[in-house]
Amino acid sequence: MTTPEKNGFPGKGLIKGLGITLKTMVSRAGTQQYPDVEPELPARSRGVIGLMESNCTVCMLCARECPDWCIYIDSHKETVEVPGAARARQRNVLDRFDIDFSLCMYCGICIEVCPFDALFWAPDFAYAEGDIRNLLHDRGRLGEHMAGVPAPPPHDPNGEPSKEESTAAKKGGAR
Amino acid sequence: MELPQVLGEPIRFILNWGRKYSLWVFNFGLACCAIEFIATSMGRHDFIRLGVIPFAHGPRQADLMVVSGTVTDKMAPAIKRLYDQMPEPKYVISFGACSNCGGPYWDSYSVTKGVDQLIPVDVYVPGCPPRPEALLHGIVKLQEKIAAEQSGFGGVRRKSAAELNAPLVSPP
Amino acid sequence: MATAREMTVGVGAGAEQLDTTEMVLNIGPQHPSTHGVLRLKLKLDGERVTACEPVVGYMHRGAEKLFEVRDYRQILMLANRHDWLSAFCSELGVALAVERLMGIEVPERATWLRTALAELNRVLNHLMFLGSYPLEIGAITPVFYAFRERETLQAVFEEVAGGRMHFMFNRIGGLKEEVPAGWTTRARQAIGEVRRRMPDLDNLIRRNEIFLARTRGVGVLSAEQAAAYGVSGPVARASGLDFDLRRDEPYLAYGELDVPIVTRTAGDCHARFECLLDQVYVSLDLAERCLSHVDTLTGPVNTRLPKVVKAPEGHTYAWTENPLGINGYYLVSRGEKTPWRLKLRTASYANVQALSTLLVGCLVPDLVAILGSMFFVVGDIDK
Repeated sequence: MTTPEKNGFPGKGLIKGLGITLKTMVSRAGTQQYPDVEPELPARSRGVIGLMESNCTVCMLCARECPDWCIYIDSHKETVEVPGAARARQRNVLDRFDIDFSLCMYCGICIEVCPFDALFWAPDFAYAEGDIRNLLHDRGRLGEHMAGVPAPPPHDPNGEPSKEESTAAKKGGAR
Repeated sequence: MELPQVLGEPIRFILNWGRKYSLWVFNFGLACCAIEFIATSMGRHDFIRLGVIPFAHGPRQADLMVVSGTVTDKMAPAIKRLYDQMPEPKYVISFGACSNCGGPYWDSYSVTKGVDQLIPVDVYVPGCPPRPEALLHGIVKLQEKIAAEQSGFGGVRRKSAAELNAPLVSPP
Repeated sequence: MATAREMTVGVGAGAEQLDTTEMVLNIGPQHPSTHGVLRLKLKLDGERVTACEPVVGYMHRGAEKLFEVRDYRQILMLANRHDWLSAFCSELGVALAVERLMGIEVPERATWLRTALAELNRVLNHLMFLGSYPLEIGAITPVFYAFRERETLQAVFEEVAGGRMHFMFNRIGGLKEEVPAGWTTRARQAIGEVRRRMPDLDNLIRRNEIFLARTRGVGVLSAEQAAAYGVSGPVARASGLDFDLRRDEPYLAYGELDVPIVTRTAGDCHARFECLLDQVYVSLDLAERCLSHVDTLTGPVNTRLPKVVKAPEGHTYAWTENPLGINGYYLVSRGEKTPWRLKLRTASYANVQALSTLLVGCLVPDLVAILGSMFFVVGDIDK
């Protein structure tokens, strides 16, 4: 423990502090001008979830694994006659895919468990609403969020490559 | 009581302009989101740029209440009381999933499912916790709302929480 | 410590009439100094506190009950929310408990990355208190410096995990995914930047005369009292209770690291503050060493899990040195997807217990200084 005598002349601590304030006063401010300048967000930033509807097979994994069950999916079965096939195939058709962003806890489990890569993170954050009901984003709105999805960053070369990187490498090798 | 013609459009504009850019904010910091609220008031995001002043001494001096964090049933009476102490015109931003509708704790026995069951909310900011820029966006949204307000005698009429409550969602 | 000193108010003939009556004063639940919603029920004799009863539960969210209806993957997402300032460390504790019960070996690279991130999270947590504590006793400036550093480190976290506060980067058996290329270098740069700028915060407040006058010799907690109340973490170490799980019962990669433990003996508010401040430097060093070691390791950062994660029947107790003290996780499994019970032993809850003796005999003006120096997170108290 330091004793008060070590503090030097009286008021030294205050003067030191004021010196810091003066130094900061004359240096550049680090303020971001958000509404005028959009912030630069990293690719992994968890802002909003985008849905690529064509990839969704209505397996319901995301809705089941969601920790607060904020994904609502409805679907119906459709029979598709494939010419030449012996039997008609059954196909799931998505009727409703809603994510309630007032409830969502932004954990990303749905994106992780999706086996067909239909869900993606986008860093957009500006969707505050005056009515809570508008925070329920339907599939049209979720599809719009896809526009903001950035390319995933490459993984550290010391670690394992990402799924995208390894598929790209495989494709490159096959060519 | 909405009499814009009595006050006149220019007066209404000036009143709303003044309200919009001098929002003394009362931070109802309850949980995680309060930290992001503090981050928004610090140098990097600095919402004083938008006219939000975080030095209200208490609810009686505040115009805007930001409810940031989980509202529990034990805390609910305090929130209601402090809201009632605020002078008109008053605005509420619900910041984060917990105060929007209970969020991650919506199935808990002790959590109020959204602060809008107690007090009327003007803007809901989604996120868990929302990033500081999201709060700034919410504030901009609120300012747009204030700018469009009609003034009249006795201030702006506020809807009660019961009036604002959405009807039950019918099953699909 | 000013122990129950007899106060005589008024002398002479009218002393009986002049004697003050006991007053009950409520601090909180919504009070700026409680950073959150802790309520203190005080009995006052004039300016002096004669009894203090912390009333908890204003932030009780029933997390332990919610754990029981969520599977192990989902629990992690809830576990980081009770102590919002040390989200990474909290989810880590649950992950360690489940891994131990399931007998999962975590890859080395993941272990070192976890250690680095846990230390960075510790810095984030301490910076918050280094800013808010002076704020509570009237020095508004340091909080701006503290948040400048926090933003720098949060950017590091956001790049790797995508979140600024609730990182959700832990998974059972490792981490969510590999770090982006070049992240370790950028993280080290950020650490260097914070270390370079830390003297600003240090010079502003550590030796400030007003700050010293408000904190030195105020709210002295003895080592015996700290041990009796189960106080842990920086608050206990400031009282001379030299106990740190990172050294005494190493988990993660701490066994291979030489962890310097910051201790003080004074046990007053200033000692607690200094403990936190010095620990920031230590944690920055540790994080940097971990990151350098991560660069020498190759391999995966997570393990393949079965589709349904089920912990075998049994129970285990994992404890970690969270930024605020010891967090324990008692996990009882009946072999199902969800835990049968997951009990949290949170640091703040134990630390706040000490307030009921610490505040007795102090003056009301010192109350906020003592309360702030106990460094608690209300969500961690009430769960």
